[in-house]
Amino acid sequence: MRATEVRPTGVERTFGENEMIVTKTDQRGVITYANDLFLQISALREDEAIGRPHNVIRHPDMPRAVFKLLWDVLAERREIFAYVLNLAADGAHYWVLAHVTPSYDGAGRVVGYHSNRRRPAPAAITAVSDLYARLRTAEARAASPRDAVQAGWQALGNELRERGQEYDELVWSLTNGSAR
Amino acid sequence: MRRGGEDPRPGLATDDALRAITDTFRSVSAGDFESRVPPIGDTETAIATRTAVNGLLDRVDAFVREAGAASAAAAEGRFYRRFLTTGLQGAFRSSAEQVNQSLDAMSRNAARISQADLARLSLADELESAVLTVSEQVATAATQMGASANGLASFARGAISDAERGLETVTSLRAASDQIRDAVDLINQVASQTRLLALNATIEAARAGSAGKGFAVVASEVKTLANETTSSSEEIMGQVSTVQQAAADAVGVLEGVSRSFREISDLIDGIAVAVDGGAAAGTTGLSQLAEVLRAEVSRFVATIRSS
Ligand SMILES: Cc1cc2nc3c(=O)[nH]c(=O)nc-3n(C[C@H](O)[C@H](O)[C@H](O)COP(=O)(O)O)c2cc1C
Repeated sequence: MRATEVRPTGVERTFGENEMIVTKTDQRGVITYANDLFLQISALREDEAIGRPHNVIRHPDMPRAVFKLLWDVLAERREIFAYVLNLAADGAHYWVLAHVTPSYDGAGRVVGYHSNRRRPAPAAITAVSDLYARLRTAEARAASPRDAVQAGWQALGNELRERGQEYDELVWSLTNGSAR
Repeated sequence: MRRGGEDPRPGLATDDALRAITDTFRSVSAGDFESRVPPIGDTETAIATRTAVNGLLDRVDAFVREAGAASAAAAEGRFYRRFLTTGLQGAFRSSAEQVNQSLDAMSRNAARISQADLARLSLADELESAVLTVSEQVATAATQMGASANGLASFARGAISDAERGLETVTSLRAASDQIRDAVDLINQVASQTRLLALNATIEAARAGSAGKGFAVVASEVKTLANETTSSSEEIMGQVSTVQQAAADAVGVLEGVSRSFREISDLIDGIAVAVDGGAAAGTTGLSQLAEVLRAEVSRFVATIRSS
């Protein structure tokens, strides 16, 4: 079920500095575990979350390029930090600083993924919203969804090249710069 | 958990719940951080217990993931990736901050080391260019010295052969003056015999009386000539002696000159060997030495650059 069925209300939801929103997924991104804060802030019951693809909370304002990057990085068995805007089932939205990592079994095989989400600093949200708006504009100009991913990806690449940073460096510069 | 008053079989439900929690703890203790406590009941206590246990596991999971990833990033030199302390409390947080302090220290050290690396590299650059300049100058100087030594050597050879030619000339001069001496001796003998003849003629003329008067005049002229010849010969002998003495001196001087030039020539050969290297005795020349120095320094600098 796609998150786009929920209409955003514009209501912003936040969570505490000491709190963490946690989910685990299988290798395809289907939710296998969600902590109580995830359910509460996403306005989902546990049985509505478990077994659903993670795009159940996808916000239409999120650029596709960011999720492409997320899956590309995970495929390389690396960690990724990303600022993500999520859409709760009741139409409210919330920003998180997500840390997504592969989970390994005893033999070192990837068995799924894990996301720890922290409360982002307001200054970081402002900067990231601007960046994401530019990426979405680039994606919106594309003719097809596939072109859109490509266009957003290119726009993200250009932005990063201009700054001389990798995406994770950008995230960390925002994180170290405002949240410390 | 004991307050499960509404539950018709509170003991059994608690047992199941405890078993579920125990299973999860066993898995997590064994390092399987994917395990969480499944739903263990709808009572407020059951929900709170599950939330608390899973919350603890989430924190430990987060701490372990952060610790591993942050130190791995530091090992790769990505010091901007810190231990994210947000979401952690109490000892979790203070340990995380401790890790970040260590990362800061590592980062400072890494910066210092890379600064030292830069300094070492620029030192290597300077050394290389200095040695290159010096060895080029030495090579140029060696070429010039080699050329000068060659020039000097042929000059010395010329001087030696000049002196030898001078010796020959002076020696032939001596032979010539010996011949002059012999000739003068002969003239002297002739003169003294002439004088004797003149004496006899004078006596014979006296004996002939007035008839011999004219002849006596002639005999006296002849005697005078003989005397003049003798005195001229003595003068010549004196001159010849002076010439011979001078020739002997010249021989001494020329021999000294040619000895000196032979010594100079040996010294020049020494310079040439020092500059170009001697085929014998395996001596290395100055320009080869400069080349060896340059090669050694290049190797040293390459090692410094790659380490
Ligand atoms: C562990 C994990 C956590 C994720 N968390 C989120 C999330 O919080 N919000 C979100 O929109 N997508 C999240 N995703 C990405 C989704 O799987 C999906 O790629 C994304 O929502 C885009 O969906 P779409 O391709 O249908 O547009 C997560 C993926 C993984 C593996």
